[in-house]
Amino acid sequence: MTGTTFPHSHPKAKGWSRRDLARMLGAAGALSVLPFGGRALAQGAASANLAMIGEPQTLDPMASTADLPSLIMMHVYESLYTFDADLNARPMLAVDMPKIGNNGLSYEIEIRKGVKLHSGRDLDIEDVIASLKRWFEMTPRGKSINANVEKMEARGSHGLVISLKAPVPAFATHMALPSGYAAIMAKESIATPLVSFVGTGPYKFQERKPDQFVILTKFDGYSARSEAPSGYAGKREAKIAELRFIPVPNANTRVEGVVAGQYHFADQLPVESFKRISSTPSVKPNLVMPYGFPYFVLNTKQGPFADKKVRQAYQLALSNSEMLLAAFGDDKFFKATAAHFPKASPFHSTAGEKVYDKADVAAAKKLLAEAKYDGAPIRILNSKQYEFHHRMALVMAENLKAAGFKVQLDVVDWATLVQRRADPAVYDVYITHSGFFPEPMLSPPQLGSGAPGWWDSPAKTAALAAFNAESDPAKRGALWGKVQEVVYDEVPYIRAGEFAALSASSAKMTGFVPMPMPAFWNVGL
Amino acid sequence: MLTALARKLGGMLTVMFLVATMVFFLTRLAPGDPAALMLGDQASEADIAQLRRTYGLDQPVVVQYGLWLKEVLSGNLGQSIFLQRPVLTAIAERAEPTFFLALFSILIASLIGIPAGIVSAVWRGGRSDQAVSAGAMLAASIPSFWLGLLFIQFFSVRLGWFPVAGYGDPGAGLGQRLYHLILPATVLGIVNSALITRFTRASMLDVLSEDYVRTARAKGLSEARIVLRHALGNALVPIITVVGLTAALLVGGAIITETVFGLPGIGNLVVSAVLRRDYPVIQGALIVIAGIYVIINFAIDVIYSLVDPRVKT
Repeated sequence: MTGTTFPHSHPKAKGWSRRDLARMLGAAGALSVLPFGGRALAQGAASANLAMIGEPQTLDPMASTADLPSLIMMHVYESLYTFDADLNARPMLAVDMPKIGNNGLSYEIEIRKGVKLHSGRDLDIEDVIASLKRWFEMTPRGKSINANVEKMEARGSHGLVISLKAPVPAFATHMALPSGYAAIMAKESIATPLVSFVGTGPYKFQERKPDQFVILTKFDGYSARSEAPSGYAGKREAKIAELRFIPVPNANTRVEGVVAGQYHFADQLPVESFKRISSTPSVKPNLVMPYGFPYFVLNTKQGPFADKKVRQAYQLALSNSEMLLAAFGDDKFFKATAAHFPKASPFHSTAGEKVYDKADVAAAKKLLAEAKYDGAPIRILNSKQYEFHHRMALVMAENLKAAGFKVQLDVVDWATLVQRRADPAVYDVYITHSGFFPEPMLSPPQLGSGAPGWWDSPAKTAALAAFNAESDPAKRGALWGKVQEVVYDEVPYIRAGEFAALSASSAKMTGFVPMPMPAFWNVGL
Repeated sequence: MLTALARKLGGMLTVMFLVATMVFFLTRLAPGDPAALMLGDQASEADIAQLRRTYGLDQPVVVQYGLWLKEVLSGNLGQSIFLQRPVLTAIAERAEPTFFLALFSILIASLIGIPAGIVSAVWRGGRSDQAVSAGAMLAASIPSFWLGLLFIQFFSVRLGWFPVAGYGDPGAGLGQRLYHLILPATVLGIVNSALITRFTRASMLDVLSEDYVRTARAKGLSEARIVLRHALGNALVPIITVVGLTAALLVGGAIITETVFGLPGIGNLVVSAVLRRDYPVIQGALIVIAGIYVIINFAIDVIYSLVDPRVKT
């Protein structure tokens, strides 16, 4: 007998043969294998798969200040100005930098002739005026500038004069910024919401499938500048026929995808993956430093931090380098620095060095005693949705306890934090971060008025008034130093330091230059 | 029969209404403001208030509920705040991968779980039983994201047999799209097979000790015939229940697996909507998921009556 007798079977029963069992399991196995074979995704050089951190909420670059819509659509829409590698504003659709007259109240702009829109016709000044009007009306930055705009008039078919009621410092820089940006569109395509995306960029919009991809294809009629490429400025050339921006929310999947060769580029990778990427010959790691800065906003309106001395004690108690180490793990990925701008920037200042990253428990305790701190708990509002925020909060809490503060960690999801930070009754400090901007007034919003934290003081008003009234870049640099000094003295927020962004690209990719928002023109495969 | 069906249908509609009401008020109870999230750090309070007005979020919650319910009853689940498209369209765009993922996962889970449960019951206490029980315990304990990453690492990165993530290149045919589901469906199939195995084993053990099984053996029927025809047929009711409920859960979106494998499914849609407080999407998607759940439950009841005529619909 070839069959196997089952333990519960009747002695006289016929056994269940191995063949019966094999049949049953074999059928299960066969059905588990779907009839689709072949090796995963053979990629052609004609297209690049670019793994992004998620799905863009919109493709209208003016409808959101989030980075992702702009990162994708800056390949489609160009602006009048953009940034070079040293973060100086440079002309893109404009012929040159604007002619500023009438004590900073008049901007004359001339646009390049013969620039083709994706629809095939030439760009003219009416497109620019319609686009700028939309930017003035729709975006937070545009609106703040619009309050000072008196009128905007065409001068011929390619000229424009913007008259201001009051000077707008760094106006060109505002128009150059790539998030929530002043994208120039074909006037007939302008609508809210946008339904067709007609710009002048080296790539044109092809297709969007939500949660799957956004496809841009090479625009053959592109009118490139003649200057050598530098940062986002200069000559742009579409060397890859098709760009596919693919949302891949899971960071580990982005890492494995680029290592496996499914993606040619993977954005925003966890720093822990650096070793794995570096040790894979087919992939190159890219670091952008500075990419952004974490900062802590103090509630100056009510609670313990309404007292400047308590805020100063808080500042002295902190070890910024310890917090950054906890957040980013390796000093390759962060820099503890009091300066809000790097040395190459005209805004570089060392103001605040004597109080930054001190972890000076004795000095903090002394200030707390002078302020008669009553032991009210410091409520640190933070979110685990950004893991590095929470890790910084944990170190911050220990720093504060050592200096004699009572501490309460309020951990919530990001949506809750965004709502609660608008209520002065429910927190004392919240943790957030910002991308690095070359112009001081662009971030953090606490430099403006009414932002959470509600910082308002005569010193702030005076320092910022002087800074904002000056349009000479060299003088503005020195004046920023004064503003930074006030920030370190009044402690409305603390800029923890700088952090880097890690991305990875295929070793086959040529010409890729790591920048805060990765650009894929001038890039080949 | 018709009366019973009508009663069931009435029950289903009541459940749907209660789900819709609960979902609406629970989403409003959670802190968070979609307008503030959408506009970001740079937005002024006036901008945020304007956007809240645009989406009717400034109205009293009861008024919002009334307006929403009226729209739902007319078949309109609303407009997504973030995606700027109708909620039904957003769900329909993501239904295919979720449906096929659920289908293949449940097939794989059943093909593993039912035979394994039978083997385990028939050889109760033996090495096969111990191996199956250990396997089921392991499958139930493994987090699906971990198994997913392990599969990606081995089958996609090392062997290059399957894509790491996604749902096919642009313009991909159904074959290529389904090919992208092999790894995630296998992961989900393995994880979900544990429960099916255990239910099958327990149900089969009950049935195998029944008198009619002893009678069948006494009549000299083959063991395979006894187990597969007589015992399995009678053990099916609880197995169908667990398979059906697992399928219902999977159709609602295997959130973690969809995220790990970058699948554009309903699970991903719901998670993003919750994080962004995109109320219309949360509400609409949960109503659809609840509807599917209710329908599958109804289908299970109907199948019961087909499998076991003693059960009345």
